[in-house]
Amino acid sequence: MKQLLYLLIFTLLGFGAVAQNPSFSPASFTAEDEITITIDVTGTGMAGVTDAYLWIFSNPGLGGGADGITNGNWTNSSNAAKLTPAGTNKFTYKFTGTTMFGQTPAQLKSFGFLLKKKDGSAQTPDYKPYFFDPLIFVPSLTRIFPAKVDVDDVVSVNFDKQYAVTINDQRMAPTTFTITMYDDLNNTVSSPVTLPLRKTDVTIWSGSFIPNISFTPAVARKLLKFTYRFNGTVLDINGSPMTVSSADTEVIFTPMK
Amino acid sequence: MKFINKIAIVIVLATIVSVSCKPDRIEDMGGKRDFLQSINGTWKLTKATQVDEDAAKKGFPYQQLDITNLFPYTNFVLTLNVASGAPTTFTTNPGTSPKIIKLAGGSWTVDNITTPKNIYLVNGAATDTITLGGYPVGAATTLKLSKEKRDKTTGKLLISYSYEFAKQ
Repeated sequence: MKQLLYLLIFTLLGFGAVAQNPSFSPASFTAEDEITITIDVTGTGMAGVTDAYLWIFSNPGLGGGADGITNGNWTNSSNAAKLTPAGTNKFTYKFTGTTMFGQTPAQLKSFGFLLKKKDGSAQTPDYKPYFFDPLIFVPSLTRIFPAKVDVDDVVSVNFDKQYAVTINDQRMAPTTFTITMYDDLNNTVSSPVTLPLRKTDVTIWSGSFIPNISFTPAVARKLLKFTYRFNGTVLDINGSPMTVSSADTEVIFTPMK
Repeated sequence: MKFINKIAIVIVLATIVSVSCKPDRIEDMGGKRDFLQSINGTWKLTKATQVDEDAAKKGFPYQQLDITNLFPYTNFVLTLNVASGAPTTFTTNPGTSPKIIKLAGGSWTVDNITTPKNIYLVNGAATDTITLGGYPVGAATTLKLSKEKRDKTTGKLLISYSYEFAKQ
C-alpha cells in the first residue's frame, strides 16, 4: 500500500514538472554565439499552425534596440524568418545575435521575440527578455566566481561595496551571506543557509559554498538555481547596530560534464 | 657514355645519402626516467586552485582562486598503484575534503604508458578522468593533477581545477 502511495506521489510530481519554454541551446550564450531556440506554442494563438514566423527584437525595455533583419513587415514576414517545425506545436530557429540585429556585442544586452503567422493574423505573446552573456567585464555590486557554475563547484559570492548604489549597501558592514536554493520544480530546497563572509580586498567581501554539499534535493529532483544576498549591520540614528541585507541575486546552474 | 655513368653514380650516391639520413632522436639527458613509476604511491593534496577558463579566455579580471583553505581539501589522499610497469588499482580517501574524485577506488589506466597525460579511473560502469599536469621526477616532487569542466551542451571549457599533491 505504501509503495502504491509513493508511486502515486512521484507520478503526480512528474506531471507537475515544468519544462523550460522556450529553451535555448546552448543554455547560455554571448551575442557572437549561434543560438537555437526551441519553442512550444501550445496554448497560444499560434497553436495548431504548421507555418510559424519569427518576429525578433533586441534590448526590449532597455533602449538602443533593433528589429531582427529577418523580420520583414508585420503583414508579410520574410521567408528567412520561417521557423523549422519540430513536432506538433513545436518549432526551432537558429541565429547569431550580432548578425540578426546588426549590432555589436557591446550594444546587445538582451532580446525578445514572438511567433506569428506570415500575414500577422495570429501571434504568440512576447517572450522576453533573454540576456546575452557579456563579452566585456562589467563590474557590479554582486558577482559569483566562477561566472558559471554547476551544482558540485566551489561557488564564491562577492560583495564589492564600491559599486553600491543604495544607502544600506553603501553603509553596510557585511558579515554573512544567505543562500536560498531551488529545485527544478522551482520549490525551495531545505531552509536557506547563512554562512560567514571574509574580507578579501579593501571593498570586497567574499563567501564560499558548494551547492550539493549545503543542499540535498528531494528524491528525483535536482538543483536548478539559487539566490544569494549579503547581510550586515548599519548604525541607526541612535548609533545602535541594525541588521540589513542586500537585494537577492539569482544564479541558474550551468550543466557541465 | 662517361657523362651518363657519372650522372648515374651521382644519383645512386645521392639516394644512398638521403635514405641513410635519419633525424636524431632527442633523448632525455641523464638516466632514463620512468614517469609511470614516479606517480606510484600515496599522495596527499597540498594545494587546490579553481580557474574560470571562460574569464581567462576573455581576459576578464578574477580568473582564478586559491581554494585550498576554503574547504578542508588538504585531507584528500589519493593512492595510485603500479605493478610490473603498468597501472593497477587506486583508492581515494577524502576525509572531510570535498570529493575531488568521486570514486572511492577501482582500477586505473593511462593514455600512454611511457608519457602518460590522461589518467582514467574506473569502478564498474563509473569512470572519471584526471589530467597529469606534471610528473614528480627529478627535482620536481609534486604530483600535479587537473580536472576540466565543460558545458554539457556545447563542450565549451568553463572551469578547471588544479591540484598539487605531496608524496606520503
